[in-house]
Amino acid sequence: MSDEDDKKSPGQLPPEEPPAGEGSGDAREQSGRPLPPEGDSGAEPGPEQRPAREASSPAEGAEKARKSEGDGEGREAGSDASPAGQDAHETPEERKGGDSEAAPAPDAQAPRTGRQRLAQAVWPPRVTRAQLIVALLLFVLGLGLAIQVRSTSENSSLRGARQEDLVRILDELDDRTKRLEDEKQNLEGQRTELENSSDQAEEARKQTRQKARQLGVLAGTVGAQGPGIELTVTDPGKAVEADMLLDAVQELRAAGAEAIEINNVRVVASTYFSDSPGGVRVDGRKISEPYRFQVIGKPQDLEPALNIPGGVVQTLRKEQADVSVKASKKIVVDALRSAKRPDYARSSSP
Amino acid sequence: MIAVLGLIVGVVAGLVVRPVVPTLVEPYLPIAVVAALDAVFGGLRAMLDGIFDDKVFVVSFLSNVVVAALIVFLGDKLGVGAQLSTGVVVVLGIRIFSNAAAIRRHVFRA
Repeated sequence: MSDEDDKKSPGQLPPEEPPAGEGSGDAREQSGRPLPPEGDSGAEPGPEQRPAREASSPAEGAEKARKSEGDGEGREAGSDASPAGQDAHETPEERKGGDSEAAPAPDAQAPRTGRQRLAQAVWPPRVTRAQLIVALLLFVLGLGLAIQVRSTSENSSLRGARQEDLVRILDELDDRTKRLEDEKQNLEGQRTELENSSDQAEEARKQTRQKARQLGVLAGTVGAQGPGIELTVTDPGKAVEADMLLDAVQELRAAGAEAIEINNVRVVASTYFSDSPGGVRVDGRKISEPYRFQVIGKPQDLEPALNIPGGVVQTLRKEQADVSVKASKKIVVDALRSAKRPDYARSSSP
Repeated sequence: MIAVLGLIVGVVAGLVVRPVVPTLVEPYLPIAVVAALDAVFGGLRAMLDGIFDDKVFVVSFLSNVVVAALIVFLGDKLGVGAQLSTGVVVVLGIRIFSNAAAIRRHVFRA
């Protein structure tokens, strides 16, 4: 091996890794002098690299410098660039012979494998021109790297974006804004519509409820209260008959009575009066004197309507009945009728 | 060692100081960083090969950065900036990979 290396070293560089069996082809290609690495930096082969390395090694320290110089001299120009294999096999020492100082550990001072070089470059730290310059450039690289990473992660991707990209992004944003505006308008319209319709529904429900109450008052299914009069007919002689009561009711209705109750019987549209011994039947329920009418309506209309000459009051008095009419601010009509569902008639309104 | 320290200090400084990059240079920063990375890997490989030269390193570093930025700049002017920067990144990436492979052989012997 060493012989072979020796022969080769002046002209062509041998493989850098001596034991590399299968990898030696690769290694020769890439580490050998004739083929610079793809990253061309610092990779220029030839004479100028040798002084550079030699220049750096003396700076390592006095002892090292001496040794490496001796080493370099001993091996002469050709062996300088030769790889680690030679050192490992102590070829230079043998050739040098007289170099007593450098003899013990030449490979420690001038490592020839990549690993050793790396280790030597990393530790111990040495202040050399090359290191400083590389440090400066690496500082710039680190700075740029950090700035770029930070700006990429922070300010979205817009910050280093190109003009046409920005224009495209802007266009897209405009489109999107327009679409969203349209959608917003649509949704707002829908909302207004729904609000209106729900308002309308609410209003309709309110009106319906109100109407139901009104109709309930008329149909006698709900209680009612309000101003009105109280008409009391006391009839000791049992002379009052159904038709007189009916007259009274009709008179009251004509005067605008809205809810009428006679002795706890609600008077509605279908109410009928019939005579019965010792009293009167109203809707089939027997009532007897005194007949007490609770009437809700406008008292100022109801009272005169009863009292007109030849009217209800006069007629009843003629029959020896005692009639009193009393206006009141609050009349309560709380007799109820159950609503009867018609068997045949159906509402014709939708 | 000092070089590694320089890199670390640079990263820290970039993160801490938060310098403002002029808008004009901003689009070229990423490509320049990739180019510089390529140069650094090349330099590392050269060092492992034992043929490292600081002068060559400096020149290659600067020229890499400048040429990469120039290509992108030209591409922007020609309207193919995005494609061209992609191409530059691909080329630099390939080189970084091959350099990394060489470095790997040195360091791991494999």
